[in-house]
This record gives sequence, structure tokens and C-alpha cells, in this order.
Amino acid sequence: MTGPVAAGRGEVEGLLRELAPQILTALVRRYGQFHLCEDACQEALLAAAQQWPSGGLPDNPRGWLITVAARRLMDQVRSEQSRRAREELVAAATPPSELLGPPPDAEPADRDDSLALLFGCCHPDLSSPSQIALTLRAVGGLSTAQIAAAFGVPEATMAQRISRAKQTISGTGFDFSLPSGAERTERLRAVLHVLYLVFNEGYTASAGDALTVPALSEEAIRLTRWLHRLLPDDGEVTGLLALMLLADARRPARTLPDGSLVPLADQDRQMWDQAKIAEGTALISAALPRGEVGAYQLQAAIAAVHDEAKTMADTDWTQILGLYDLLELTAPNPFTALNRAVAVAMVRGPEAGLEVIAALEADKRMARHHRLIAARAHLRELAGDTGTAAADYLDAARRAPSLPERRYLALQASRLAGRGYPESRPATEVPDRHSGHGEPRYRQCAGTARTAANTVAGYGGLVSELDNLRNGAEQFAAKEGGAGATGQVRRRRRPARSAEPGQGQGQYGGGQDQGQGQYGEEQQGY
Amino acid sequence: MKYLLLIYGNQEKWASIPAAEWPEAIARQDAFNRKYRATGELIGAYGLADEIQARLVRREDGQPVVTDGPYLETKEYIASFYLLDCESEERALRIAADMPFADVDPVEFWPIMHEAKPDL
Repeated sequence: MTGPVAAGRGEVEGLLRELAPQILTALVRRYGQFHLCEDACQEALLAAAQQWPSGGLPDNPRGWLITVAARRLMDQVRSEQSRRAREELVAAATPPSELLGPPPDAEPADRDDSLALLFGCCHPDLSSPSQIALTLRAVGGLSTAQIAAAFGVPEATMAQRISRAKQTISGTGFDFSLPSGAERTERLRAVLHVLYLVFNEGYTASAGDALTVPALSEEAIRLTRWLHRLLPDDGEVTGLLALMLLADARRPARTLPDGSLVPLADQDRQMWDQAKIAEGTALISAALPRGEVGAYQLQAAIAAVHDEAKTMADTDWTQILGLYDLLELTAPNPFTALNRAVAVAMVRGPEAGLEVIAALEADKRMARHHRLIAARAHLRELAGDTGTAAADYLDAARRAPSLPERRYLALQASRLAGRGYPESRPATEVPDRHSGHGEPRYRQCAGTARTAANTVAGYGGLVSELDNLRNGAEQFAAKEGGAGATGQVRRRRRPARSAEPGQGQGQYGGGQDQGQGQYGEEQQGY
Repeated sequence: MKYLLLIYGNQEKWASIPAAEWPEAIARQDAFNRKYRATGELIGAYGLADEIQARLVRREDGQPVVTDGPYLETKEYIASFYLLDCESEERALRIAADMPFADVDPVEFWPIMHEAKPDL
């Protein structure tokens, strides 16, 4: 006699998250009505999460879930007001055998469907927060409560976002035809951006109770890994996965238990996750020589150079600078330029880096941005100009959008002002610029692919992250009908009467939140 | 990113509004709240009690010491506050400008640092 297969809670959880997009695609393909199918799918997943750990796995978990979800869908349709017509629709569309689930040896032929589901969740009509929420729920299989906890908003608020996103998608007619050609490139870029934002959101979050607050960076890695399996030949998908792994490898060393940030220079490199570094390095090494170099691959290559350095002083800044040169060519963006300025300083000295920063200050919005001021503080300190460096650190602290950054920057200001913090550290040493670093292989690989990079830049396949965010704000208002006010936000300085037309019209308005395209190790790296 | 919107006022100001206009004013504010709850951006809208119910609280010798507040010099005090969670400051500013009475009195706008992600 074969009893039910015993299953641990973690095992069940993993299996359910793996099956979630398959169940949903099977349902939507059969019944349409994305909105209702998604609810039904969630209920089936919930039922399984409650029953399987104690009752054991069914013989065919996927079939079980589809059957239960289809029943829930019918229950929902029945309880909805327009009963009869829809009931018949569902009944007619359902061969009785389907409700029993497919035989265990049936081919789960929904690889492409799952990909289409992901594309649908990242539909350009949706705002970034909606894309993220919907992707985590429909593709990631997380509950609304889990997503709300991860983003620190009430469940009702997150439920509204998801509900609205589903309505938007239903309104556009959810179909499983994958876009092709240029549109496919564009849509895939949106998908990668959503995964990137999910990763960024969880990048510094402290590990909470995994059941209530999922680790978003792990979820982003899981989904990107899955996407990489579906599209193994796409260089940017590989690049994003590598970037996530290489950045996540440093997570254990990045923050102290109290949440304070540890800059790259001070991190205990023994704590870096070598398995993730090895995997990320292998991925990016394989992807770069193929030729289609994009922004994620270049950022991954930069992260790999950092991760391979045994100490801060061992860092191969020449190679990093070369990669930043390529990155600026591929995806020009003021924050890339800022990171490059720091790399310039490490290769040619702080004064050279400060010159690059001075050029960036021509843009008033950039000149007031805390990241530029923090980077300038760092370089001024390296140049020995501690007085202005301290003032810059203080100014940057006042403009920083988050508490850990503000504390970190204020601490640097205090340290330079000689207020004696015991944990203060000396200025980062400028490494020997000619120390033997071995072969700059990422730079070389990327260099051979330079023509390809030009091509990428040429057809604009990679707009800067900044543009994404900027456009995102507009989209949110226009596409989801959220805002009444769609006019420009004019900014005036106090006193209110001295208007400064055109100043700071929110061009970088979205920039402070997240995802500026860099992890900013270079900017007095955290 | 979360943002706090603050509305200030005082009794004198509110008393100057004719009673007949209140229902419409309340309806407009309710409409604003519904609109942005529906987008998933308004986390909460909170009206505060009258100033005579406000208190100043201190601790002395481990015990709470409560006096009537707010400070007498305060000409205007917080009447209500709104908690937003938006994808960008740009967006949050637009919502603030969409407050029903933003054309009469400014809305105070504060980014909230707690829970904000370090900008890496």
C-alpha cells in the first residue's frame, strides 16, 4: 500500500511556487477571464499549502491544483451576478475529463504559456508597482499578504493594486500570443526591468520571517533563473541573472545586524557567498563573448571584477573603468556617468574624477542629487580636502532618501570633522594603479563585442533606467487613469513668488526611489 | 516610496466656511480618498480631533505628565494627514496637487525615510 507522500512545508512551498504560473496559464488558456482565473488559482494554491504538508502530496500535484482551481473558478462564476451565461460558458468549455486532471505522464506543454504570462504581467499599460505586484502574485505564486508585507503596505492597499492591474490586463484582452521582433525586445526589456526592481526592493531588506515576508531578492533570482531556462540564449537575461547573483553574494557583508550599511571597502570579503560568485562569474563569462552586449551584462561584469578582488586594493579599476566606458556607450545615464567618475578617480587619481563630476554638475538636478554629492565627498576626501568633503557628506546626508544612507553619510561627516567615532575608518586607500591584476578578461570579452554594443545603443534597445522611471510615472497617471492631474509638476523655490520657470521640472522625479541602474559600489560604495 | 501629506488649519478658518458648503467639501475629500485608495496609492487618510482634545505628554520621574496642547502660540495646527505609497516623488506631488483644497491652501509634503530603500 502506498500512503500519501510525506512532504515538508518548505518542499510544498517550493513546489507550489514552481507550479503557480503553470496552473494559471492552463486556466486562462481554457477559460479566458484572467481576473477570475487568477483568484481561483490563488485559492487552489492556498488549499494545497494547507492540506499537503499534513496530508501528503497528491500523485499528480499539477492536476490536483488545476482541478481545484477550475472548481473554484466555477464557484466564483456561479456566485457572480451574471450567473447563467457564464456558467454555461465554463461548463461548455470544460471537457469532463479535464476536471480529473491530466494523466501523470502527460506532457506539461506550457513553457511558452508561462513566458507569455510573465510578458502579460509586465504589460506596458501597467505602472511599475502594478507590474511588480502582479508578477509576484501570478508568476511567483506569492499571496497578496506576503507581497504587502514585503513592500510594507497594508494588505488592502496591495489588493487594490493587484485588482486594478488585473482589470487593466483583462481590459486589454489577455492573450498568449508572444510578441515578436522589435516589440518582443521591448517587452522583454520591461520584463527584465520588473525583475530588476523586485531584486532591488529586496536587496538590503533584512531577513525576516520567510513565511510572512519573503526575501524579494531571492524571489527575483528564482524568477530570473526560470526565465533564463526559458531563454537560455538571451544575453541580457543571462546578464541580469549574473548581476543579481554577483550582487547578492555580497549581501551577508553589506549590512550590520542593526541595519547600518557597510561600504564595499570595509566589507568582510570572507563573508561573500563564493557559490553565488562562481555561478554569476560563469554565467557572465559565457554570455559576454557571444557579442550582444547590453547594460545588464556590463553591470554584471563590473560586479564580477569587484567580487573577484581579494581586497579593495586588489580591485582592477582599469578594467572597471573600461567596462563603464562601454556602459556609457550602451546605456547612457547620469548615474552611470557618476560611477564612471569614481572609477576614473581610482585609475587616474581623485582630481581627474572630480573633473568628471564637475561636468555632471552642469545639470542642476544632478548637482543637487545626494549620490553626486556623496561621490564628490568621497573623492574630495581622497584628494585630502577633508573640509569640503565633510561639508559634502553632511549635505548628502540631508538629501538622502533613506535612513541607513543618511546615517552612513552623517557618520562620514562626523568622522571627518574629527568627532571621534570609534568605528571610524581611514580614508579608502587609492590602490597601486599598476599592481598585477592578471588578465582583464571581462573587459576584453566585452571589447570584442564592442560593435554589438554600438548596435544595441543604435536601435535604442536599452533606454536608461532613469527614462524607465520617468516614463513610469507618466504611464501610471495616464494609463491606469489614476491621476486627475496630469499636468507638469512645476517646482519653485521659496519664497514662492520668485518663480524659476523650468527649473527641476521633475525630470529626475522618479530617480530617488529605486533602480537607477547601478549598485553604486563606486559611489563611496555601500 | 512613502510620503506624508499634511493639511493645516484652525477653528477660525473652518468657521468661516458656510455650513451649506460643508457637504460638498466633505464629498470632494471622500472622492479624493476613494480615487487613490482604488489605485493602491493612498494607504490612509486621517482626520485629527479638535485642538481642545490634543495633549502634550512628557515623562517625569517615570510617570506620564499630560497638559493641554498644542502650544498656545500655534496659529495653525495639523488638521489631517495622508499616507501615500507611490512609485515616484513626481507621482506623489501630483496626487498632493489633486487634493481638493490644494488650490486654496498648500499641502505640506514630506518624504518618509523609514522603510525607504537605500538608493544603491
